[in-house]
Amino acid sequence: MAISYAEYMELFDKRVAAYIPPLESWSPVEKAIYGIPDPFHLPPEVAQRLQFEALSFTFRHHFQKNAYYHKLCLERGFTPEELKGPDDLERIPLLPDRFFKEYPAGRDFAMWLANVMTGDLPKIVIKEKNPSYDQVIEAFQQAGITVCFSSGTSGRHTFIPRDERTFNLSEYAITKGAVAIGYPGWSPEMKGYLMMPNPRKTHLFAGRVAMIYFDTISEVTVAIDREVSVDLLAKAMGADRSLAGRIVQYASRKTEKRMVEKIIAWLEYHQEKTQDVLTLVGAPYLLAGVLEQLEADGKRLQMGGRAGVATGGGWKIQEGRRIPSEQFRAWVEERLGIPPKDCIDVYGMVEGNGWMTHCPEGHYFHIPTCYFKPMVLDKEFKPLGFGQWGRFAFLDAAALSYPGFMVTGDLVKMLERCPVCDRTGPVLEPEVRRAVGEEMRGCGEEVRNLVSSDLGN
Amino acid sequence: MSANITYLRLMLRGTFSLLKLLATNPGDLRKLKERSEAAGERYVRPPRRYELPAYDPSMKIAPRRQRYLRPTRFCNPYTPQVMALAHSLGAFRLQPRQYAKAAFAFAKEKLYLEICPFDEVDLTLQRGAGTCFHLISVFIALCRAAGIPARYKMFSTTMIQAWRSALVDQDPMVKKWYDSLGYFMIEGEGEAFVDGRWTVAHVGPTAERQASAGLPITRFGEDALGLWFFAVPGTLMIMESVPLGLGRGSHFLQRIAPGSLERVNLGVLAQSEAGLKVLAAAGGVEAYDRKVRMAMGPEVPTLELEEKKGIVFAE
Repeated sequence: MAISYAEYMELFDKRVAAYIPPLESWSPVEKAIYGIPDPFHLPPEVAQRLQFEALSFTFRHHFQKNAYYHKLCLERGFTPEELKGPDDLERIPLLPDRFFKEYPAGRDFAMWLANVMTGDLPKIVIKEKNPSYDQVIEAFQQAGITVCFSSGTSGRHTFIPRDERTFNLSEYAITKGAVAIGYPGWSPEMKGYLMMPNPRKTHLFAGRVAMIYFDTISEVTVAIDREVSVDLLAKAMGADRSLAGRIVQYASRKTEKRMVEKIIAWLEYHQEKTQDVLTLVGAPYLLAGVLEQLEADGKRLQMGGRAGVATGGGWKIQEGRRIPSEQFRAWVEERLGIPPKDCIDVYGMVEGNGWMTHCPEGHYFHIPTCYFKPMVLDKEFKPLGFGQWGRFAFLDAAALSYPGFMVTGDLVKMLERCPVCDRTGPVLEPEVRRAVGEEMRGCGEEVRNLVSSDLGN
Repeated sequence: MSANITYLRLMLRGTFSLLKLLATNPGDLRKLKERSEAAGERYVRPPRRYELPAYDPSMKIAPRRQRYLRPTRFCNPYTPQVMALAHSLGAFRLQPRQYAKAAFAFAKEKLYLEICPFDEVDLTLQRGAGTCFHLISVFIALCRAAGIPARYKMFSTTMIQAWRSALVDQDPMVKKWYDSLGYFMIEGEGEAFVDGRWTVAHVGPTAERQASAGLPITRFGEDALGLWFFAVPGTLMIMESVPLGLGRGSHFLQRIAPGSLERVNLGVLAQSEAGLKVLAAAGGVEAYDRKVRMAMGPEVPTLELEEKKGIVFAE
C-alpha cells in the first residue's frame, strides 16, 4: 500500500532531524519552513500569513542588528514600524546582487564578511597576516559559519555567509521542496550520484548546497571528489593563465572523461546488478556529457521507474548554446529511459534560500511562498503583474545571517498559478534567462567551467 | 611592503608574458611598430579642453613633507601650474569634499585618455591628455596641493566586453598579451582622504567613453571595481607613489610598439565619438546617467568596514 503523504513527510523529517531545531526555539521563519506539511499545497491565505509573519520577523531582525542595512532602510525611508500588512512588503529596501561581489582581499575580506553579517559573531580567529580567500573562509567555518561562493565568467565571486541556523533552513528547504513535489518517489533507501563537487570538500555553492543529500538517502557517490577552493576555481575557470592555472585546466580535461565514464559505469552496474532506486542530482552539463557519451557509444539505458533526475543551475551547456529544458528531458528519456515527469530542475542561487522546484506534470517552477516572496520588476525596478517578463527579485525570510532582500540579474515570467498542476501559489515559467549585461552564471556554468572544456567542447 | 611585493610579482609576470609573446611571435614585433599611412588612421590628439590659469606666488601652499601630501614619482603637487590650477578649482576656499569633487571632475572630464609614456603632472596638464595613471596623478596632485592627502589604488583587472573592445581588442598584440595573462596587467584609481575616510576617485573615463559602453557616469566616491573592472584577487595595492619601473616600462613600450599604442588611441577616439552620439540621443549627460542608473536597479550601498566583536587577528 502506498505510504500516506503525512507518513512520508514524517519519515523525511526523522531522516533530517539534525537540520531541525527544537520546536520551542522556532521563530515565525522556522514555523513557515519546518512547521508546514507541503510548501506547494498551502491555501493561499495561509501561505500569505506565514510569509508576512516570517518576513516581518526577518526584516526587523536585519533592521535592528545590521548596521549597513539599518542605514539603507533609513535612507530609503522604510522601517519595520511601517510594515503593517502584506501590501507593504514590496516596500522593503532591496539590495542589488552586485553588493555581494564587491569585497576586498586579505584581512579586510574577513572584516567585510563580518560587516555583511547580521548580528553578533562567534569568535573567529584569522591567523595569517595576508590570508587568502580560502583561509578566511576556513576560519569562518571553524566558527560555524559557512561562507559559500559562486562566480560569473569574469571570475568575480559572490560570497554569502550563512550561520548554522540559516544554512540548516536552506538545506532543509531545498530538500523538502524536492521531496514534497516528488511524493511518493523519495525513500531513505535510495542511492544517488552527485554530479557536483563533494560538499565536504568545497565552499562552492554548487556543491556545498548538496550537503543534506548525504543525510537524505542511503548512499551517495560523488563526481568531483577533490578539494575545490576559490583559488582552484579561478584556475579552472580560466581566470588564472599562469602555469599553475594551465596545469589545472589540463588536469581537468584529463579527468573529465573518466568522470563521465564512472557515471555511466555506475548506472550500468545498477541497471544490471541491483534493484536499487536511484537519483542523479547536480549540474545538467555533466549529465549532458553522460548523454553525449551514451549517444556516441550507441547505448540506451532503461532506468525508467527506478531513477529520477534533479538538476540545478540552468542549461548553459556550451558558450552560446542553450538547451531548452524540454529538449533536455527528451534526451534524458531517450538515453536513460527516465520519463520527463521524473526529471526536474531546481532554480535557486547562492544569494537566496528560496528553492523553486519543477512540478513533474508541467515543469513550471513552484515557489515556496510561505517564507519567500518573489517579485518581477520592470525596467524602472517597479513590480510588474503576473504574465510579464521582468527582473527577478525576492524577499527571503530564511536569510537570517545576511539581508536576503535582493534584485537579481535573472529575467523571469511569473504566473499566478501553475497552468498544469493543482498545486497552489505562483510559478515561474520553466526557462530563466540572464538580463542583458549580466554575466553568464549559474551553478551549472561553474561546474561547466570546473570540468573545463570537457566532453569534446 | 606587501603592495611592493604584489607589484613586483605582477611586473615580472607581465614582462615575462610579453617577452614570451615577442619571442614566440617574431613576425608580430614588426607589426608593433607599424603605423598606418592613411590620414584617417593616424592618431591626432584632440585640442585641450581648458586654459591653464596663471600662477601667483602668493598662493597658499599645503604642508609638503607629510605622507600622502609630499611630492612623489611623476606627481609633484607644488609646481606653479598645479598650484594655479588647484587654486582656480577652489583650493583652501571650498570644503575638502567639495574641492576633491571639483578636482575629480577636472581630471575625469577635462583630460583625454591617451596611451603615452609616463611623465610629470605639469606635462600632462599642458598636453591635456594621458594614460589613466597620468589622470590619476593629476587628481592626486590637485588634492595634495590643496592639503588633502591622496594616494594610488592599483590592481590587475579583467573587464567587461565593451571596455575590452575599445582598449584591448584594437591591437592584435595587446589582445594577445591580455589573453596570455588573462587580465589587464595594471589599472588604477585615486583615493583622497576627506571627512575622515579614504574616498575613491575613478578619473580614467570621460562621460562619453562611459556612455559608449552603456555605463553610468562615475561620481566621486564611486568605484569602477565591480562595475566594469573586476580586480584579480590578491592584486590590490595601495601606494603613495607610482611604483618604480612603471615609467620605464611605459617608455619601453612606446619604443617597441608605437603602432600598437596608436591603434589603441584611435580606439579610444572612436569610443569617445560613439559615446557623444549616445549622450546626445539620451538628452545629455544627466539624462543619460539617470536612465542608466535606473536600469541598473538599486544602488549598491557602501559598506563601511567597522570593527566587529568576534573577529580576532592573530599577531
